[in-house]
Amino acid sequence: MARQRLLLGLVVALAIAAVMAIIQVPTRLGLDLRGGSQLTLQVQPTQEIPDITDRNMEAVRQVVEGRVNGLGVSESVVQILGNDQLLVQLPGISDPEQAERVLGGTAQLEFRPQKPGTEQQLTVENQVLQSELSELEALRAAQDNQDDGAASTPETIEQLSPAERQARLEALQQSVQDSEAAIANLFESTQLTGDKLEDAIARPNNAGTGWEVVIEFTSEGADLFADMTRRIAGTGRSVGIFLDNRLISAPSVDVEFAETGITGGGAVISGNFDAQAARELEIQLRGGALPLPVEVVENRTVGPSLGRDSIRSSLYAAVGGLILVLIFMVAYYRLPGLLADLALVVYALLTWAAFNLLGVTITLPGIAGFILSIGMAVDANVLIFERTREELRAGKTLYRSVESGFHRAFSSILDSNVTTLIACAALFWFGAGLVKGFALTLAIGVAISMFTAVTCSRSLLLFVLSWAQFRKPELFCPGLYQARS
Amino acid sequence: MKLSVIKQRTLWWTVSILITMVGIIAMGLSWQQFQAPLRPGLDFVGGTRLQLTRDCAQPQVCDTSLQTAQVREVLTPLGLEASSIQVVGDDRQSLSIRTKTLDVEQRAQLQDTLEEALGPFDPQSIQIDSVGPVIGQQLFASGLLALLVAFAGIVVYLSLRFQLDYAVFAIVALFHDVFITLSIFAILGLTLGVEVDSLFIVALLTIVGFSVNDTVVIYDRIRETIKLHPQMHIDEVVDDSVRQTLTRSINTTLTTVLTLISIVLFGGDTLKFFALALIVGFISGAYSSIFIASTLLALWREKSGHAIATPASDPLPDQPDSVV
Repeated sequence: MARQRLLLGLVVALAIAAVMAIIQVPTRLGLDLRGGSQLTLQVQPTQEIPDITDRNMEAVRQVVEGRVNGLGVSESVVQILGNDQLLVQLPGISDPEQAERVLGGTAQLEFRPQKPGTEQQLTVENQVLQSELSELEALRAAQDNQDDGAASTPETIEQLSPAERQARLEALQQSVQDSEAAIANLFESTQLTGDKLEDAIARPNNAGTGWEVVIEFTSEGADLFADMTRRIAGTGRSVGIFLDNRLISAPSVDVEFAETGITGGGAVISGNFDAQAARELEIQLRGGALPLPVEVVENRTVGPSLGRDSIRSSLYAAVGGLILVLIFMVAYYRLPGLLADLALVVYALLTWAAFNLLGVTITLPGIAGFILSIGMAVDANVLIFERTREELRAGKTLYRSVESGFHRAFSSILDSNVTTLIACAALFWFGAGLVKGFALTLAIGVAISMFTAVTCSRSLLLFVLSWAQFRKPELFCPGLYQARS
Repeated sequence: MKLSVIKQRTLWWTVSILITMVGIIAMGLSWQQFQAPLRPGLDFVGGTRLQLTRDCAQPQVCDTSLQTAQVREVLTPLGLEASSIQVVGDDRQSLSIRTKTLDVEQRAQLQDTLEEALGPFDPQSIQIDSVGPVIGQQLFASGLLALLVAFAGIVVYLSLRFQLDYAVFAIVALFHDVFITLSIFAILGLTLGVEVDSLFIVALLTIVGFSVNDTVVIYDRIRETIKLHPQMHIDEVVDDSVRQTLTRSINTTLTTVLTLISIVLFGGDTLKFFALALIVGFISGAYSSIFIASTLLALWREKSGHAIATPASDPLPDQPDSVV
């Protein structure tokens, strides 16, 4: 009996912990429930690059991520999918067209010389842009934190209402775009674009004090670059490196190159780079150097109010399903059915908590998987109680019937759950997106149901049996004595 | 009256074969119409589906309900008259339009034109599903692969836990369930225009997991009965085992189907047909476990001369649960 008490205590403790987890850790909702866009981008090989390598993909991912950040969506995700696809998730996006336009274009890297007489202006515009960017950063952080329930943001932002924050965010994005356009305007457009860049490599500099980025042009690019650098060497103006019309670096050229320009097709960009900044520039350059077109091959967008409707209807479905099953179990199995119902509620709590703690993103099929697992979770109990009834009919004592019901049903429970898990594993490995979500939620559900059906309902039953008033076989198997006589 | 699946096996097999035949015919007809055994949805053939709801918060926008003909008139100048148009929602204010795959510009143009003709739409309730043909093929290929791997995994597991012949007949029952579900949806596709999407593949895989689940419980009982009564004829073993597990089979299917009915009733459009597929599959799964997998096993053991398992030829390891 001491062991039952201990197990029962454990179950109660777990249930309480689960409730805490459900309250404390927010449930992560998929885009189909909260509204948003999910885009799949296909990276197309070209004549120059017929085979897309991992390195290419990483570079393209960086470029796309830069564009996504430009859209100003918080909690966006950019993932590499397979060999040549990118998955972009944009929660709560209000303008799917804009997103698709911005993400679908080819990265455009361009080297542009600064126009004469704009040195002052560049400094000023750059300062404006930097302050706008840092405020934007703070605002986004505030929004993310708001979702996470924690806060560590400047007070001025804290005081804004969500609507005001949203308005400020949009205004800032607009002025960032304006500033970027103003900066772009200070440079002359040229023919020296990314396809004329051969490679870019970040490396520690000779002095060993910092990092630098080596770039290398094609022969055609080398001539253009020499010409450009000759014109601005020693003037204090710089070579603007633009990616998607955004200035990513603006190195100046030393006066020693005023005669010939930087010839030979190679150059070194040095400055106050740390390893990370150098690496970032390298990837941006290489990404820009890749004239790899990306195409939006899949777009799934769900408006926020549609998502809310889905949540509501699936909540009804889950509660409805649970209630139907609870009623059935009590009506058919009486006392053990009631205890199984308790175990089922514990099961639902534990599973929900596990989703939150493991950070499982709940999608619509995921909810279906969860509801389904409620129906399944009962299966183990049905097996056990049917066994118990058989043993009772065979004339065994109540306690032994319950014990052997659990004992003998176990191999069936194990086998049947393992086969379901095998199907889940296949779904998880080969499925994508939503399918994965379903497989994961179903698998977690099955695993937890094994625990609750065997441990939780067993301890409950044996605990109840320690009271004489419950030790009546007819509470377990109605009509038992008629059947025997 | 006692149920004897062995005596009535011809009847049960006939039922299954009849349904299968109807399914084959339905799939044949589907093939003629859609070049596929089932009516393929957007996920598999690619295309763009746009769901828009008029913004009823604005005055006079929703005074009239939407008409399909009116929408088609709008689409014709854009060269999209072949699209399927549905007016949905209780108040007939939502549109679901399925076209060939549109790029951003084309989609924006379509939306603008619709807005001009029909009034403003609520951006909060927009739904866009645009799938390129490449993705469709990938989904199909990965789904098929997942199905095959699941089959293989289950055969290996059952061969290890039971014996190879058990595993083979469990797979036969599996094919039966998957095929029956396909048949029903081929019929639904022909009659009600129900399309299958990637969720349908998920449903099939779940059916695979569950159907075998049911079979395993009966097999487990057969194995146990053989061990307890090695001299019993296999027909009797199977009959007894099926009878003993029948209540459980029915009750488990019932509880699962109850939750699924809840999804059909309350779960919204996306999940409705997913749940329906599962209901068909699970009921078929219970049926095939009781009437197909077990009777085939009995027939096989009888024909191969293993109708009576003698203790010496029983290769099963001792299990603790055989001691009662």
